[in-house]
Amino acid sequence: MTEISYLAIGPVIALTLGVVLVLLVEVTYKPKVTWLGAIAALSLLAGFALSVAQWIEASDDPIIRFRGMLALDPFAAFGSVVLTVLGAVALLVAWPLIVIQGRRAAEFIALVLLSLTGMILMAGAAHFIMLFLALEVTSISLYVLAGFARDNADSNEASVKYFLLGSFASAVFLYGVALSYAATGSLSLYGAAEFLNENLLLDSASLLAGIGLLIVGLAFKVSAAPFHMWAPDVYQGAASGVSGFMTAGAKVAGFAALARVAVTSYGPYISDWAPAVAVIAAISVVVGTMLAIAQSDIKRMLAYSSIAHAGFILTGLVAGIDGVPYVWFYVVTYAFQVLGAFAVVSVVSGPAGTRSPLTDYAGLAQRAPVLAGSLALLMFSMGGIPLTAGFLSKLYVFREAVDAGYLWLVVVGAVASVAGLFFYLRVIVLMYMNPQSEEGGVGETRVGDPLRVALTAVAVITLAFGIVPGPLLDVVTSALPL
Amino acid sequence: MDFNVLSLLIWVPVAGAAVVVGLPRRRAELVIPVAFALSVLTLGLAGYLVFEFEGADGGFQFVEKTAIWSDLGIDYHLGVDGISLFLVALTAFLFPIGILASVNIELRPKEFMAALLLLEGALIGVFLALDLVLFFVFFEVLLVPMYFLIGMWGGERRLDAALKFFLYTALGSAFLLVGIVFLSAQANQQLGSPTFNYLELLDLDISRTAQYWLFGAFGIAFAIKVPLFPFHTWLPDAHTEAPTAGSVILAGVLLKMGTYGFLRFNLSLFPEATVQLATFLAALAVVGIIYGAAVAIVQPDLKRLVAYSSVSHLGFVVLGIFALTSQGVSGGVIQMVNHGLTTGALFLLVGMIYERRHTREISAYGGIQKVMPWFAGFFLFTAFASAGLPGLNGFVGEFLILLGSYSRHPALTIIAAFGVLLAAVYLLWAYERVFTGEPDKEENKALTDIGMREIGILVPMVALIIMLGIYPKPVLDRIEPAVERVIDRIEQQTDFQSPLRIDDIALDDEEVTP
Repeated sequence: MTEISYLAIGPVIALTLGVVLVLLVEVTYKPKVTWLGAIAALSLLAGFALSVAQWIEASDDPIIRFRGMLALDPFAAFGSVVLTVLGAVALLVAWPLIVIQGRRAAEFIALVLLSLTGMILMAGAAHFIMLFLALEVTSISLYVLAGFARDNADSNEASVKYFLLGSFASAVFLYGVALSYAATGSLSLYGAAEFLNENLLLDSASLLAGIGLLIVGLAFKVSAAPFHMWAPDVYQGAASGVSGFMTAGAKVAGFAALARVAVTSYGPYISDWAPAVAVIAAISVVVGTMLAIAQSDIKRMLAYSSIAHAGFILTGLVAGIDGVPYVWFYVVTYAFQVLGAFAVVSVVSGPAGTRSPLTDYAGLAQRAPVLAGSLALLMFSMGGIPLTAGFLSKLYVFREAVDAGYLWLVVVGAVASVAGLFFYLRVIVLMYMNPQSEEGGVGETRVGDPLRVALTAVAVITLAFGIVPGPLLDVVTSALPL
Repeated sequence: MDFNVLSLLIWVPVAGAAVVVGLPRRRAELVIPVAFALSVLTLGLAGYLVFEFEGADGGFQFVEKTAIWSDLGIDYHLGVDGISLFLVALTAFLFPIGILASVNIELRPKEFMAALLLLEGALIGVFLALDLVLFFVFFEVLLVPMYFLIGMWGGERRLDAALKFFLYTALGSAFLLVGIVFLSAQANQQLGSPTFNYLELLDLDISRTAQYWLFGAFGIAFAIKVPLFPFHTWLPDAHTEAPTAGSVILAGVLLKMGTYGFLRFNLSLFPEATVQLATFLAALAVVGIIYGAAVAIVQPDLKRLVAYSSVSHLGFVVLGIFALTSQGVSGGVIQMVNHGLTTGALFLLVGMIYERRHTREISAYGGIQKVMPWFAGFFLFTAFASAGLPGLNGFVGEFLILLGSYSRHPALTIIAAFGVLLAAVYLLWAYERVFTGEPDKEENKALTDIGMREIGILVPMVALIIMLGIYPKPVLDRIEPAVERVIDRIEQQTDFQSPLRIDDIALDDEEVTP
């Protein structure tokens, strides 16, 4: 039997300890919020260090731990490296929001760390039950975070909507797990793969139905169309300071889980599920782009654009295991971009604000060159202009999809990405080319130090990996599941 | 000398953009001199390139190649041949002029100059790139500074024009990207490793059907850029709303990316499809020639008139290229350079008069040759060059094109020849309405003639116009070997026989009549 390896859950322990400590210190000492932040930072740092240790350990000797529950492989390790960094940047972005929470700050920080714990487990889960638990830890924390501003009607609506639809998706996911179990007799991701490799199913209907439901459940979590209905309301209704984290974290973890399930458990059935994924990808890209054009609120626009990006990422997944590195490349760089974009929004609309009409951005370049410059860079990158990570991400996933024979999907994606430029550019036009509106400076423009650090990090990631993708490519090409 | 002149040509302007942005706010007066000096340095490098270029060699010279993302087969791969040589030179030549023409920019001169320099680097990169991804990167990136040039410093309807320009071209690029990715997937199958290397892709064996699709994907991107009828609708707005330097660059160089793309990629990579579709594209070109000229005649706005004349002139270039004869293609290449010079000069002239009167309406003028004799002289001269008066540059290109395409598309060529006539009509009629007669409007009587700076801008252009008109041989000698290679390649790959080879007629022989 497997011995206990604490390294496999190292980052999880670090973050969980952080959660417990933050809450305990809060009730016993009622310290300044800075101290709580320091505890969170320490636990994230420890989590990051342990994730790196995992990476070093796992790249030589990937293994399944905890009686088949958790994988200690480069895929999981990379996921947890990315998520801890993402969590740190997200806390920096959310810092102004945390500060104004007063005595509820501890809960907020604890929820962020807790959801990160769930996300890390999603990337590492090797067992459907583990995956389901991780999914629920993540989702429930995010439901609460979405409605954290109790007295704001938009936030309440967002939270309830997210909760109801999210629970529904979890149920669909569970149903998929049950059907898959019925077909393969195993709840382990790898057990299912082993069974499918060794046996030929006489009737694959229940397996295919199971795979379909699993994909739908996870597609919901990553807000791919047509399972996206909740996303715009939730991202808009959540406080601006935290919407970015919700989008980015859910995408990274959701795609990690989806990629692992698809290519390991159901790898042999790729010719069955890849067309379905391709159709979801195409719908997401088209629906996300078309509806984003019609938005007049930047948060809703970013939400719809994130639906389109989910479609682009799925485009990479149709290539199966070959596409996984580029799925990583895309989702990681995109996660930081969307975090950065919402960071700018959180300044303009106020960290606790929920609505952020595009008109607030008129003439932003004059009022706040740093904010406008960052947002412009991110818009160009999301639009896929070369020399940004966004361009290379698209190039890579397109290439994989063409290699896998999905030329039609690439054509849809390429055309949609051009249509997408329309709304990304509109933001830039507003910021740089429109004069400031008559009422003068709508919205706040002061950028605090934490936010400045976060924006710098995001800009560096977007540009550096857009020009010199080599280092990240090397890492993602070895960040494969066991 | 041993240095990477091609890299320098790209990166000196790009670094220059960074330098200009980095200049301290209180030394704002340095912005224009520094930008100008850097663009002149680039021009110097281009001059060095032209002189060191081995004229008889039709292949790529000064090649630089470094693998950047080797696992994907993407290289930093540059090279210059007779086709790209003069486009690079033209680019390097027009930018110092554009900068000099913009010294009166008041809104954010620093950002304006940085955008221009960035644009210059990217444009030169487009003409030098021998890796398809690198080409695409330059092709896309230059949209950004151009978009800002139109959107921030343009005329009244600049926002619409900028967006239209960007989306239209980006739409073309989307197809181009799909084509490039598909081509590399083919390479992956046939050569065993992914590559975007232009020279290696030439060896691919692409099925006829695939060639049609790829020709279409590349062709749409380039047809929008040229712009070929019916993809031209973005052009009048973008040209009219852009600031003077922007229009000069847009018409002078940006449009050539389309014709260059056709010549470099479509003809060589998809020869089968090229031969089959040549007549169709030549027909579109001729429609563009006549349509552009006809619409130019009735424009009430001087700048729009020049813009529509570009549609017509670029039609000639495309007609020449798809004649698939040495004369036609060589004529097309030299006509790209000619059009850059003459239309660039026309936009400069329109910009000069607009700075004084703040209107481009032809009807607002009249009789101003009395008050602005120098200006009128330059305008008339440039109009003649643009209309293809023998002895000036426009004639050489149009003559070669018509000569080259007659043997292949006689009917189309005859129709196209009327375009030359129409060019004389719209240009000279415009001249008549703006310049001749008595200055009957009060505002026009007070106009001041162009000064030394403006004459200084125009004189080098006039000199080149005359030089290319009288003695184009050195230029043609460098263009032809590269063009021959393109035609040879088409003949080898298909059963197509070029009706006339350059050896059949001696171009510099006076006895020859078409």
